[in-house]
Amino acid sequence: MQATQSETAPALRYLDPAQVRAFRTEDGRVRVTIEGERSVIAPRFLRAFPLNDPERYISIREQEPNGKEIGLLRNWQRMDREQRDIVQAELDRRYLYAIIQGIVTVQNLFGVVICELETDRGMRQVTFRDMRDNVIYLGESRVLLTDAEGNRYDIPDLGALDRRSRALLSSML
Amino acid sequence: MPAAQALPDAVRRAIARAANGGEIRIAAASDLGTDGRYGERWIALAGEQVLVCAPDGDEASILVDLRLKDISEVQVENLVGGAMLQAVVNGRKVDLISYTNALAKRFGRVRGQLDAAAKGKPIPDEPERSNRCPNCGLIIGEETRVCPRCVRKGAVLRRLLGYARPYRARLVLVGVLMLASTAFGLAPPYLTKILVDGVLIPRANAYLLAWLIVGLAASSILSTGLGIWRSRIAAWVGNRASFDIRAALYERLQWLTLRYYDRHPTGTIISRLTQDSGGVQDLLAFGLPWVTSSALTIIGIAIAVFVINWKLALLAIVPAPLVSILTRSLWRRMHRAFHRYWQRWGRFHSVVNDALSRVKIIRAFSQQPAEIERFQLRNADLFKAAAYAEQTWATIMPLVSLLIGSGSLLVWYFGGLLIIGKSGLTIGGLMAFLGYLGMLYGPLNNLTMSAQWVSRALTAAERIFEVLDAEGYSEQSPGAVVPETIRGEVEFRNVTFGYEKHQPVLHDLSFKVEPGEMLGLVGKSGVGKSTVINLLCRFYDVDEGEILIDGVPLREVDLSVYRGRLGAVLQEPFLFSGTVAENIAYGKPDAPPEEIMAAAKIANAHDFIVNKPDGYDEQVGERGGRLSAGEKQRICIARAILHDPAVLILDEATANVDLETEDQIQQAIARLIEGRTTFAIAHRLSTLRNASKLLVMEAGKITEMGTHEELEAKQGIYHRLLEIHRKTSTVTAVSG
Repeated sequence: MQATQSETAPALRYLDPAQVRAFRTEDGRVRVTIEGERSVIAPRFLRAFPLNDPERYISIREQEPNGKEIGLLRNWQRMDREQRDIVQAELDRRYLYAIIQGIVTVQNLFGVVICELETDRGMRQVTFRDMRDNVIYLGESRVLLTDAEGNRYDIPDLGALDRRSRALLSSML
Repeated sequence: MPAAQALPDAVRRAIARAANGGEIRIAAASDLGTDGRYGERWIALAGEQVLVCAPDGDEASILVDLRLKDISEVQVENLVGGAMLQAVVNGRKVDLISYTNALAKRFGRVRGQLDAAAKGKPIPDEPERSNRCPNCGLIIGEETRVCPRCVRKGAVLRRLLGYARPYRARLVLVGVLMLASTAFGLAPPYLTKILVDGVLIPRANAYLLAWLIVGLAASSILSTGLGIWRSRIAAWVGNRASFDIRAALYERLQWLTLRYYDRHPTGTIISRLTQDSGGVQDLLAFGLPWVTSSALTIIGIAIAVFVINWKLALLAIVPAPLVSILTRSLWRRMHRAFHRYWQRWGRFHSVVNDALSRVKIIRAFSQQPAEIERFQLRNADLFKAAAYAEQTWATIMPLVSLLIGSGSLLVWYFGGLLIIGKSGLTIGGLMAFLGYLGMLYGPLNNLTMSAQWVSRALTAAERIFEVLDAEGYSEQSPGAVVPETIRGEVEFRNVTFGYEKHQPVLHDLSFKVEPGEMLGLVGKSGVGKSTVINLLCRFYDVDEGEILIDGVPLREVDLSVYRGRLGAVLQEPFLFSGTVAENIAYGKPDAPPEEIMAAAKIANAHDFIVNKPDGYDEQVGERGGRLSAGEKQRICIARAILHDPAVLILDEATANVDLETEDQIQQAIARLIEGRTTFAIAHRLSTLRNASKLLVMEAGKITEMGTHEELEAKQGIYHRLLEIHRKTSTVTAVSG
């Protein structure tokens, strides 16, 4: 595709998992070393496609404010166990999605929806506003909700919810 | 020959005399007389003469007589409330004929025709478009040809029902169920008759009583059950048919010519798809079954009451039409009241909307008291209309009931006389009779009221059919060339084009761009720069001349291949609701994530995208509402890069962005245009400098062409534009 692009056009850098080493320093911060090249303290791990392809394309970036991309990890699952755990922990830290396992109550008050949710992180009372703008449908059965405070809730499979929860959900949406 | 209006005899004679019998090729009537009062005047092209003629009773006088060969151009001078057609003779303008704005379209056409004739070109023949129904003269708006008064309801209904044809079997079932449920629905009064005459009056026959009660229960249950079954199927068929209509309509809309879109505002097209198709849906799914079942019920009741006692039946049926006419007139009154109420609501809404959306300006000018007063005026209007409507409702509804009830009084009286006189009517018969009458007025009312909305829905249907029948875009000429590659050599050869054929926007344009070259289009707004782009995209076909792509006429190039190699970055970045990734991959939906990211990287977009909470999966919102101007622009550039066009159209971004973002956008654009034939509508000096060739346009013509240096040395229009540009840039730089 870039046959016509000049030399100066920037290109993405994909990192070889074998080249990348992640470990924790004594003070608990993460350090990433690109073998034979550089070492970065406390880098950020960002998913390029957090919803549609969360397990691939992890962008490893320098700290803000500069935030330059060090490179993209295409298949980080190929890293060894220890490395992978660190990356996973960093991703979990950034992507705080609670997974909804059930909906207990729904109350609709003048366009504000208050509901009690059973999530993988425990029970939680959540307030949704402008419901229509804060729902993302991914495919046929996955729904992502953003509450009034910007928290994310994921329903990976609508069909997996019990009947009552599904009925309550459809009354919210 | 272009259609000439039918000339009055006197005018025809006068013109024939003046033109020595020359053939009348163009004729049009104006609506202003010589003294500026409303009147009639005619302009005609007869033989080789342009004549203006004023009829005066049986006679007509020639006011202007020009030889066609003396006229170099025909122009329109726009006046206030009207305009004047003028001919240029020996460099001097001669007034031909004046007309009011009502005829602006007609005379715009006449101007084009006369101008073409004067220049020795073939006279363009375009049918006159008017906002009136050609049949009855009702003003119906230009966007439609459907006149609610003249629409042929039967034909529309037949065509509409054609959409239900694939579901014939279900419709037959609906018909059978309708008959059955109506029949069962009509049974109870008859059973009551047997009950009264056979059980209650003789005070005997408990066994029959039990069976009659079972019969009453069964008929009610069956009638209700079958009715439900029928309505469910009818609802499915009706909605399915309107689903098909909407699908056909939308498909049509995607293939209509762009000229169609030029002539029809988007709003009206959307309303075809939403409101009109909604009206049709109501009619098919709900209205038609309702009307049919009402009609069946009425017929059934009529048969039943005639069987019971035909004399009494006549007596009861006779006032029915009268009652329904009266009811209808009362309804009309109510409708008017509510119509006014809704209208006031609309006005109220627009005042509130207007005021609240410019709240800062109101404060800045301390106009709150005035605004409050304005609001109160509308508020009071609304109150009055609402109160009137509700009061009318409160008055008319009981009156209607009273009216309907009064019919039964007649039956009571004369039926009572028949029973007293023992002449053929039983008490049970009278009860049944009254029962049937009670059932009659509902369906009767339904039928009278349905007339209006059925007609409204049919008008809506006709408007939909109008779109379905509109001229489609025959994009592809048969035997189109499918080029293996497109190198990007573009040549305009003597191109003339107008959105309305008689009003050319581009005149005789010729230029050539080599593959990989960048052409900058320069000129004030409205000179035809965007039209050049529209033609290049082949949104329209040229009227005269040719556009050649790699030496092949554009008309003959396979359009999907060509458009596949054409890319555009427009001033107003266009995003649709979806994710960032989907927006970038719009022209190449199967692009893998890595290509999408690579394109974004080149467009300086990758970093800000990855930093969004949802990265490339971020929803951009409607029209990209959740992104900044600079972000949208770069996503559009990434889209163009991924699309990898051979010919690129660049309508330079002038969005309000900070300097750093602007720099990033410029960088991205520079990377994008490299190696591609680029048509740039240039606003910035830097772009103009980089262009291989600049084309300076004025009034649809090329006035200067060359490189930046050549044109600057020439000290012409380009130089002047540049001067202005430099001054304003300095001002901006100082003040900014």
